[in-house]
Amino acid sequence: MTQLALVIDLNTCVGCHACVTSCKEWNTSGTAGPMVDRNPYGAEPTGTFFNRVQSFEVGEYPNTQTVHFPKSCLHCEDPPCVPVCPTGASYKRPEDGIVLVDYDKCIGCEYCAWACPYGAREIDEQQKVMKKCTLCVDRIYDENLPEAERKPACVMACPTSARIYGDIHDPDSDASRAIADSGGYQLMPEWGTEPANHYLPRRKVSITVHEEDLQRADNPLNKEDRGQRKPTTRTTLDDSTSW
Amino acid sequence: MAMYHSWDSQNAWLRQIHTHNYLFLSPSVGASNGFGDGDWIWVESAHGKVRCMCRFSEAVEPGTVWTWNAIGKGKGAWGLTGDANESKKGFLLNHLISEEIPSQQGDYRYSNSDPITGQAAWYDLRVRVYKAADNEPEETFPQFDQQKRVPGMEPERGKWQAFVRGLGGKS
Repeated sequence: MTQLALVIDLNTCVGCHACVTSCKEWNTSGTAGPMVDRNPYGAEPTGTFFNRVQSFEVGEYPNTQTVHFPKSCLHCEDPPCVPVCPTGASYKRPEDGIVLVDYDKCIGCEYCAWACPYGAREIDEQQKVMKKCTLCVDRIYDENLPEAERKPACVMACPTSARIYGDIHDPDSDASRAIADSGGYQLMPEWGTEPANHYLPRRKVSITVHEEDLQRADNPLNKEDRGQRKPTTRTTLDDSTSW
Repeated sequence: MAMYHSWDSQNAWLRQIHTHNYLFLSPSVGASNGFGDGDWIWVESAHGKVRCMCRFSEAVEPGTVWTWNAIGKGKGAWGLTGDANESKKGFLLNHLISEEIPSQQGDYRYSNSDPITGQAAWYDLRVRVYKAADNEPEETFPQFDQQKRVPGMEPERGKWQAFVRGLGGKS
């Protein structure tokens, strides 16, 4: 059985939101669209996004880290949003494990949003139907696209290659290897939802700096004998400013 | 780094990422100056002062402050409505920074910019921060009269907008 998923590397995500906007660009124009915005140029603008980046701070100064955490539908293997749907609009595709919403059946009751422990679903405030990440289902099978581009828009857009797409049931896929090699983990596994999307945990990195590395042997100022230059008595800009 | 400069506010999607900015500072600065995370504060330099909201961050060295630059807009600027968050909650640090440094050598005044690169001096400004009074309006200072829409500008968009490739934005 195939289970398509995203694997997101929290070490390399820089929080640029390119996945957020490329997702919206593709999906608002595709079968999952439109993705509307309310008050687009006014007060308190809000809109539908399938993918958002949350940023957290960890630690105290000076040992602080900023963790950027992109989150979209995790395409759970046992999705709690599916059995609660009264109309059958929310469903999981058996052939590739993608969780989708049939807008024609959705009545906007938001049971699925209550059931989802990850907050991954967004009601379209104008159309009153539930929308969510489709894993770019209208892109990944599109034979009009070159094979290298049959990936979710967010994966294509990520400038740091923090997003890996693949079949996590295939042990040889890039996604499965990344999970195995880097200790990929699921969000809140205690809920038993078996999220398909995985995150690669941040690794502690350290670097040993030697004293001699701090002295630049080819410092051009040394070559110019700047240290031996006579100090000027004229007032300079440096004398009158606070830097 | 999801925001670079002022022009992101023209984009309906990007401005949802940052509709307004905060002044980021260390929690210890807030504690020693008597204000809390998210409070309205004044940030004041020798040149001017700005009222804004603060946000505590452990990633900022105590004694320094930073913000996303140029999210703050005058009312009606950049095609936004007069009540847009950019003008009510957003602020611009330029009001704190003089274009020239104090006079010296007679009347000549140097530009307040980096002598090597010409880059505007943003990183060497000394400021103090203190809590805004409880009776002050919860909006940034300074505020400006609303700009009129100039001839040729498209009319204000409606409440809803959906972009569909090939169709452009529609209200």
